[in-house]
Amino acid sequence: MTKIPITSFFSDYFKDFENYDEVLKSDMTINPNWEKLLTNFSKLGMDELNKKQDDLDWLLAENGVTYNVYNDPNGLNRPWNLNIIPFVIDQKEWKTIEKGLQQRAHLLDLVLKDIYGDKKLIKDGIVPSEIIYAHRGFLRPCHQIQYNTAQQLVMHSADLARGPDGRMWVVNDRTEAPSGMGYALENRFSVREVVPDFFKEINVKQPFGFFKDFNDLLINSAATNKENPTIVILTPGPHNETYFEHAYLSSFLGYPLVKGNDLVVRDNKVWIKTLKGLIQVDVIYRRVDDAYSDPLELKGDSYLGVAGLLNVVRAKNVSIINPIGSGVLENPGLIPFMNSICKYFLKEDLLLPQIASWWCGQEKERKYVLENIRKLVVKPIDNTKREHIYFCEFLSDKEIEALKKEILAKPYRYVAQEKISFSTAPNLTKDSLEPRKVMCRTFAVAKENSYSIMPGGLVRVAAERKKLSVSNQKGGTSKDFWVTNNANKSFKKRQRFHWHHSSSNIFSGIENLPSNTAENLFWSGRYLARTLVTARYIRMVLNQMTNSEFNKRESDTESLHILYQSITHLTSIFPGFTGKNKEKAIENPLEEIAIVLFDKTQMGSLAHALSSFNNSYYTLRNLWSKDIWRVFDTLKKDWNGFDKKDHHNVQKLSKLLDTIITKLIAFIGLIEESILVDQGLLLYFIGLQMEQAIMTIDKSRALLTISYNEDVEYEILESLLNSHESLNIYRYSFKSYLDIENVIKLILLDDAYSRSLKYQLNRIRRDVFRLPKRTNDAELTTLETTILKACDMIENAKSSTLIQVDENGFTRTELEELLASLSDLIHNTSMSLTDMYFNHSDEQIQLINQNYTN
Amino acid sequence: MIFSVIHKTTYNYANNVTYCHNLANLKPKTFVGQELLEYELEIEPKPTILKENIDFFGNSVTHFSIEKQHKKLVVTAKSKVKRSYEAQKNASISDECKSVTLEQALAKLKVLSPEIIEAKQYVLDSAFINNISKTIHNYAKKSFQKERSVFEATNELMQRIFKEFKFDASFSTVATPIDEVIEAKKGVCQDFAQVAIACIRSMGLPARYVSGYIETFPPPGKEKLFGTDASHAWFSVYIPGFGWIDFDPTNNQIPKNQHIIVAYGRDYYDVPPLKGVIYGSGESTLEVAVDIRPFKSENQQQQQQQQQQ
Repeated sequence: MTKIPITSFFSDYFKDFENYDEVLKSDMTINPNWEKLLTNFSKLGMDELNKKQDDLDWLLAENGVTYNVYNDPNGLNRPWNLNIIPFVIDQKEWKTIEKGLQQRAHLLDLVLKDIYGDKKLIKDGIVPSEIIYAHRGFLRPCHQIQYNTAQQLVMHSADLARGPDGRMWVVNDRTEAPSGMGYALENRFSVREVVPDFFKEINVKQPFGFFKDFNDLLINSAATNKENPTIVILTPGPHNETYFEHAYLSSFLGYPLVKGNDLVVRDNKVWIKTLKGLIQVDVIYRRVDDAYSDPLELKGDSYLGVAGLLNVVRAKNVSIINPIGSGVLENPGLIPFMNSICKYFLKEDLLLPQIASWWCGQEKERKYVLENIRKLVVKPIDNTKREHIYFCEFLSDKEIEALKKEILAKPYRYVAQEKISFSTAPNLTKDSLEPRKVMCRTFAVAKENSYSIMPGGLVRVAAERKKLSVSNQKGGTSKDFWVTNNANKSFKKRQRFHWHHSSSNIFSGIENLPSNTAENLFWSGRYLARTLVTARYIRMVLNQMTNSEFNKRESDTESLHILYQSITHLTSIFPGFTGKNKEKAIENPLEEIAIVLFDKTQMGSLAHALSSFNNSYYTLRNLWSKDIWRVFDTLKKDWNGFDKKDHHNVQKLSKLLDTIITKLIAFIGLIEESILVDQGLLLYFIGLQMEQAIMTIDKSRALLTISYNEDVEYEILESLLNSHESLNIYRYSFKSYLDIENVIKLILLDDAYSRSLKYQLNRIRRDVFRLPKRTNDAELTTLETTILKACDMIENAKSSTLIQVDENGFTRTELEELLASLSDLIHNTSMSLTDMYFNHSDEQIQLINQNYTN
Repeated sequence: MIFSVIHKTTYNYANNVTYCHNLANLKPKTFVGQELLEYELEIEPKPTILKENIDFFGNSVTHFSIEKQHKKLVVTAKSKVKRSYEAQKNASISDECKSVTLEQALAKLKVLSPEIIEAKQYVLDSAFINNISKTIHNYAKKSFQKERSVFEATNELMQRIFKEFKFDASFSTVATPIDEVIEAKKGVCQDFAQVAIACIRSMGLPARYVSGYIETFPPPGKEKLFGTDASHAWFSVYIPGFGWIDFDPTNNQIPKNQHIIVAYGRDYYDVPPLKGVIYGSGESTLEVAVDIRPFKSENQQQQQQQQQQ
């Protein structure tokens, strides 16, 4: 292979931008570590590379890999970007970096122990006290807590970038709840799936050993139930920027994903609420920020944590990874002192270089900073509130003066750093390679007395060519990070990720289903049923509208008006087609129907049901398979992509509903075969059946409880059966003209027909009795008696009585009363289910309201 | 002087509370000049977990949880405290101490010793006292000048707050920001202490919050009623080379034997007498009754009764 085809890729690489680059040296020669990979690129060619990039984008979107950006006008769940060109580091260099990272993690562990322990660094004058005491991450309640693990800092992440001297420099430390390892793993899986050719004849180290070490860390850090510890992942919830990763790691590692209100502190232990009761939690892998972890001792108005948690930690009855309080190490104020700290504790020099930094709390340093501010980057010592980082070269004179004033008012809160031009690496952008700034996030986890380092990590790339800062919050893309071993010529077989869980999964079995998961599954079932039934019903009405346009029969007009009104009753979006609004709405029915379909703010609308489902769906994302994601993703695309100007176009609306209904059915089918009943599908079924039953009742109350003349009644019955997808079955069963009694027999009273109300109620009863008992008591619970009563009631109902019309010749009171009672009973069943099993009804209240802002 | 102190807090909840986690800063300290002779913390309903810890500031904190349903929570701290102010460090403030000027104090704070490092954290922002405003700084500047004695300045600051601020329990809550307090010049002891602390910190000096009790006296000729006292708060300033000196701006005095110290912190947030998180729903009402009176042994009581008969 000659070098010409490789460099041709780089023809315009440095066209208007010169920088220190990972691949291309200034004399236009190629870094030998990248040669093999570039050869593999050339074999594919630029067109193919572009196509593969599209494939990669598609794959990530289909797999639902997302990243949330706070206050993003594009809404939540922005797709994760991964550039197809990996970032390469040779094993030889990596070994040095690895050592440096191990040293840094070890050192920061000693710092953490000291800060919350003897405070020798402060007492002996190694670290000025303000760097710790004025840092918001220093949590005084964590003072003198003793831990189970040999290390206190059990996870450490660093952001590295290559400095002008050719070495990798430490830019930031991440210790509070480091994110990115899940994205790094997903990046590797995706690149390997889309471009296996890239790996040809290249030995890339795989991260699986690291994940095994991470899993071992979680298991081994348990102080309680060491044999079979219960491990959970604590997330702030679907709005968090890296929620995807929390759910991803939950399904990858097989530990339940929980929110603060799924956990409770009792008897000085942490418990997870499950359907059966409480199960003790031994280890929490924490993705909630330090200050939000315990509303009793930390931020009182936090609803993301667990009250009393710190006291359980003190009693060593739970291990938290990383321990609460470790955010104090995310502290650029420490950087100027790191070398002294290293000498103090380890009697050696720091291995990894850092950016030259000046802490403004020192007089000489402050003077230097104020005099040279234009050349510097100024940061507060705690970035926990995402305060602005000042790139002073871009500030106006006025802004500089303001910043200087701020520094002088509280000098100890600021650090200034040299402006460094870090290296770039090639990024594929529209038919060419472009040099972009890169930053590498590394991951270390405690292993025995040292740290295991992930080979590679997460590489993040600046959003634009000339951007200085690299951050996912500000957009930008990512890269797979390769540590390659060219010396070793033997190409190992693909490693797979599998290890024996030393512990059996404690959460198997319906009784151990976390309450929150159960609740979300229940509501998923309810919202899905509502979406499907509403869609079918509106579709039927739209079809009737089209028919009546051709027929212009009197009975059609009347039945159509009845159908319009039934929409309002079914969705409870009042006044709709009823009351004073009636005339106006009927004159222009599509106006009202558009609200019922698309107005997300109206409870009962299709859009509302779909978006409510969407919320539960994201909360449960660790349960869904990839196929489920894909189907739902296309469904959402169809729905969201529907043009607003077609909101009043009957044909297009019908077509949209057809598509949505087909996909919903596929989706529902997939759910039923992808999740086990014991995993919680039971709750989903209860929700689904309950909502279907409620809507069958609502439809029947709207259409069957009033007697009409023969023609109209025929139309109504046909419409009802149509919306119920039951017309064929009716014809098959009765082979007769449509008749009210037979319709009631079929859709309300049939034993064996899965769409009949009786069948649905019996199904709910069966499933309710499969729920775990809370007590050993043989007595029936309220939940059980309520559903039994409903089943009895329908069992005893007779179609001949139900069709009786009152003396007024107008209403079927018997039918109306039966349906009304059943509706109440189902509602009560839902309420007792919630009371008994979900029990998130208790509010968290502060005894005395003492919140603060700073 | 021996005092018996009873501090009773009652929460009545409109609805049942399923469980709660709380912490109490109610146990008086022991140090040279103050000795805790007896202490008892009664909690009703009986707590499931009760554990005493020493916090970052060296105060004793009791964590407790109640894990059965309840509609009422009563926490009663009963203590017997011996106060001998004369034995305390800085009991009589020396002329030398009184002569330390602001300029000298700031210079001394730069020379790091374990004591200075410890004291200096009380210059920094805290939960309730942060981003100190210009108004507060200007208020402080009227008393604090470079060449003026820190003691004199602090004493004057205390007097000014006593004279210019109106005691008004209806004005503030535990979370009223100090900026509102200095604006309205109204509040309670806690507010006055925190305003003073903010003033002193704005000059670059360490100041801390003191939570405790003060003995009060009934109107002349009247019997003292039970529970008419209150928990109290004041502040302390650090004079390098001499240590902490307490000032009570609510009563315009340097605390002596009538003041009983429970806890030190950076501000109220660090040492609330009681805080907690409850799980339930609905409103709650709070009653606090504090009673401080000189302790009488059974003998003394009998004698007194006999004399009266």
